[in-house]
Amino acid sequence: MPRKQPTEEELERRKIVGVNAETVTDVTSTDFPGNWPGEDYAWDIKKIIRDTKIEFHQNEPAEASFSLIGVDASIANAFRRIMIADIPTIAIEKVFIDNNTSVIQDEVLAHRLGLIPFTGGREGLDNFMRWLPKPKDNEPIESTYFDYNTISLELRVTCTHNPNAAEDEKDPRKLYNHAHVYAKDIVFMPVGRQVKYFAGENAIRPVNPDILIAKLRPGQQIDLSMIMHKGVGSDHAKFSPVATASYRLLPTITILRPILGRDAENFAKCFPQGVIRLEKVTKAEAAREGSGYEGHASELKAVVVNPMLDTVSRECLRHDEFKEKVKLGRERDHFIFNIESTGQWESDAIFLASIAHLKEKARKLEQQVVDMVR
Amino acid sequence: MSREQYQIPTGSQQTFTGGAGNTAATTSREFDTGIMYYTCGDCAARVPLEKGAGIRCQKCGARVLYKERTKRMVQFEAR
Ligand SMILES: [Zn+2]
Repeated sequence: MPRKQPTEEELERRKIVGVNAETVTDVTSTDFPGNWPGEDYAWDIKKIIRDTKIEFHQNEPAEASFSLIGVDASIANAFRRIMIADIPTIAIEKVFIDNNTSVIQDEVLAHRLGLIPFTGGREGLDNFMRWLPKPKDNEPIESTYFDYNTISLELRVTCTHNPNAAEDEKDPRKLYNHAHVYAKDIVFMPVGRQVKYFAGENAIRPVNPDILIAKLRPGQQIDLSMIMHKGVGSDHAKFSPVATASYRLLPTITILRPILGRDAENFAKCFPQGVIRLEKVTKAEAAREGSGYEGHASELKAVVVNPMLDTVSRECLRHDEFKEKVKLGRERDHFIFNIESTGQWESDAIFLASIAHLKEKARKLEQQVVDMVR
Repeated sequence: MSREQYQIPTGSQQTFTGGAGNTAATTSREFDTGIMYYTCGDCAARVPLEKGAGIRCQKCGARVLYKERTKRMVQFEAR
């Protein structure tokens, strides 16, 4: 028996997550095989290529924002999780403290050093640097240290009095030399082929040179060396390439019946700036029967212009004058990603790397399924 | 970064390495004489004390002395 295929409107309606004053409805997706009688939702690569869209809103090295449209939450969430936990960066992993007479304790200092984001030449980081292999049994861990998996750094700072400081100087940074220890005081010690890969502007360096590591007073000293390895965020957050990688669903605001005059002004105030615009009711609209605008020509009406800016505060649902006039929701397959890089990668490159990573995971899974059947 | 077994430092101990080379050398010399160095709590001077000597800074006379930090390298995980 042939069944009626759903209309465009019906398909649009199925995509909307309802956001009400106290409840959220229709949170799960319904576009999978066997859910709707007579409708085929079998996995189809052509359909995915046709329906999936990516639109960038902002693309800067430190922050990128884009919409990923037409995919299931499982895919969008996989990208998010891969960006946080599976894209590798280098970070300080071991700290060898020869001397530390500062007020900050050794272990706290080591922890702080580990969290400093570093960057360097892309070619060296991507293609030259490799994972640190596990040492064989009863072999010391240093036996696996090579120029392609270990980067050496040093931090050697001693605080002294500044003889040239003015007598009434109060600022410790002028009164003493090296009163503040910054990330820029860390010195990169290249070995082997690192000299070639991390030369000049490609040198391994802190992304933000002005990160304060410790404060010293005359006579105090920090004297240590460090090593860095490649790692992933699932091991420790210091290896995560992103400060945030998150998504939200595109909000929808549907005005069911006209909101006019003072109500329209109050309605616009329920949303962040730029979401609602006040427009004059045209003569044509006022003349049309059943439009709800009859007799309201040249009055102000509320028009939704940019729901993407909405924070979905639901403020408009608290006021009786908007009852039955507005419906809030979210589009279930429209993910607005926001990615902030810690600096080792460019933000958009992290997303591209996450796609490559998911592909690689799928390839490995496919091989394992093939092996299982064999 | 030597990985030798931990040895309790004693006055007669000669083989005491670890940390930066030259500081280790001075340390073993200091151990030879049986003198321990402390830091004055008041004036931060380095105070040598012999066994049984009164606990007092020779510079300012303060009676609070701090033990010096180890000269050996200490390894930490940056986590
Ligand atoms: Zn003293």
